[in-house]
Amino acid sequence: MKSSYLKSKCILLVDDEQKLLDMVVSILKNDGYTNIQTAGSVKEAIMAADIQTPELAILDVMLPDGDGFSLMQQLRKKSDFPVLFLTACGEDNDKFRGFDTGADDYIVKPFLPKELLFRIMAILRRCYKEEYTLIKLANSEVDLPCAEVVKDGSHIPLTAKEFELLSALYRNAGRIVTIDALCEAVWGDNPYGYENSLMTHIRRIREKIEADPSHPVSLVTVKGLGYKLIVP
Amino acid sequence: MKSAPKLIRHFASTGMISSILLIIFNIILVFTILDSYNNTSYPYETAEKAAKSLKRLESGYVLSDNMARKLESENIWAVFIDNHTLEVVWNTDNLPDTVPEKYTASGIAELTIGYIDGYPAFTGRAKDGLMVLGYPKDSLWKHMSPSWDLNFISDLPMILLILLVTNILVIFIIYMVTSSRLVNAINPIINGIQALSSGGPVRVNETGLLSEVAANINRTSEFLQSQNYYLHRKETARANWIAGISHDIRTPLSMVMGYACQLMEDINLTEEEQQKATVIVKQSRRIKNLINDLNLASKLEYNMQPLKLADENIVAVVRQTVADFINMDISGKYEFELEAGIPRALCNVNIDKELIKRAINNLIWNSINHNEQGCKILASITADNKKKDHVTVEISDDGTGATDRQIYKINNAPHYMFRDESTTEQRHGLGLLIVRQIISVHGGTVIAGHSPCGGFQVKFTLPLPKK
Repeated sequence: MKSSYLKSKCILLVDDEQKLLDMVVSILKNDGYTNIQTAGSVKEAIMAADIQTPELAILDVMLPDGDGFSLMQQLRKKSDFPVLFLTACGEDNDKFRGFDTGADDYIVKPFLPKELLFRIMAILRRCYKEEYTLIKLANSEVDLPCAEVVKDGSHIPLTAKEFELLSALYRNAGRIVTIDALCEAVWGDNPYGYENSLMTHIRRIREKIEADPSHPVSLVTVKGLGYKLIVP
Repeated sequence: MKSAPKLIRHFASTGMISSILLIIFNIILVFTILDSYNNTSYPYETAEKAAKSLKRLESGYVLSDNMARKLESENIWAVFIDNHTLEVVWNTDNLPDTVPEKYTASGIAELTIGYIDGYPAFTGRAKDGLMVLGYPKDSLWKHMSPSWDLNFISDLPMILLILLVTNILVIFIIYMVTSSRLVNAINPIINGIQALSSGGPVRVNETGLLSEVAANINRTSEFLQSQNYYLHRKETARANWIAGISHDIRTPLSMVMGYACQLMEDINLTEEEQQKATVIVKQSRRIKNLINDLNLASKLEYNMQPLKLADENIVAVVRQTVADFINMDISGKYEFELEAGIPRALCNVNIDKELIKRAINNLIWNSINHNEQGCKILASITADNKKKDHVTVEISDDGTGATDRQIYKINNAPHYMFRDESTTEQRHGLGLLIVRQIISVHGGTVIAGHSPCGGFQVKFTLPLPKK
């Protein structure tokens, strides 16, 4: 796993509640993140970003000297890094405004630490994928940028659809990705009626990545719901 | 506005009926009055009768006793003029002296159509002479030139008819003009009252016949508007207050949850201590759900939650909600299953996806909260293939379930949040209330019951768009 590489990314945490900052820092540190900066206000956040450009920012919306949305726009003038909002503003309109201004994710307090960690990792994987390429599975390795599977020393190429499917599954590794979400990832806006094609593609992927495609261990079916990619 | 034409129709028919009745009434009145004046018999007829009842005997002319009495009683005098001599050959005793005893042809002609010395004269023919009756002066009026154009007489029925119809028409027009004026005055008042009932602001012009009523309507409208304004302000304030409280609870609760989660996984703690942390996490999550629910319930109740409707595949929505649950990895105690026996054509519903996900979420949480020992949770989506007017989503479990009485209460009793009196009965959460509110704004229904696999079940329907 190359998660240690992702966990060394510089994360900027901005919240006016010092005790919450302490807690999030401890959650991140416990999970192995090493480069964490904190700020309690817009002013402090800009100063911190000047010292070291963050590679991910976790922002609160309500800050004593401004709001998180405009802070995000200000910070992004320097560098286009991903932003996750962690806020008590749970209204739909706040969420829409967050996504509208370019947020990568939006978590409403209170949150489960596990959920926060998962979402941070998902963003980091998505944004810094070119430096993180080889996915180690139980019986093979997947090299997404090269669109190939390495199994028992041989290189097996992936088709475009298989690549899209594996990418979507990998982005949500360890979680169920529904049939509908997979179809949408591969066939776009009108993904209905492709369930049978999806099954065919999944079977072909299994032939490439599994030791025994009839008893999959890496790409498992969750009956009626979807599929899950297990990355050990 | 249907009242004005109805009113005009009513006025028109009343006008028509009353004019006809008026004409009939007048005719009856005229005939009655005429009748009351004509209590004496007709003079010409009496003259004819008198002529016939005069007998010529050898001793001279003799009038029958009956006729003599009648003439006397009515103070009528009579003379009988001989055809050949034009002289009076018989007369009653009461003949005034001024009445001549000899006549010329022109004198006869004159008395036939007119008067003799101011006495209205009437003639009756006999075989050999002319009976002349003289009525008392000023008792009768005679028309002296009784000649008419024959065309006029032949057209008379038509003329009378036209006269009648014109009269009715004139009365009708007068009636209509006055009533339409009244309707015009009433119309804005009716419109105003109707607008009042729909709750909108009303402004009726305060002029004309009914200005006082218009002013009252305007005052009522202002009163209702101000009441609505204050009510709305109160509701908004209440919803904002709840939103504010939930906002302020979120940050401290984050810390409770966050640290408890850390303690739960802290290997330095004893198992008992970790167990205590688990309870804190679980209860914090309940508080989190509760504040989310409270906020949404108050917004739905006060119509402050805008619906973002879009065409969605209901199967995909349910599937995503269930998958999110499994992905949350709450614990291995709950087994999930999804059944979607529904043709693709019946999957599309017009819904606010986030709200429907929330409803399904609440139902699943409900099953989890009531079955701490773990259970199997089944989500199923079905459609009525014949009617094709709705889809049904069922969330059921094989857990402890509920008694018939509890289910009856869930389905029928109002939620304690919306009762006017407090209750000592056990309170259940807001989960089901929100499900009901969400499904209701989508035009569907919710019903709780026993699950076929032994536990609790909630079914809700969503209408399919009409084709």
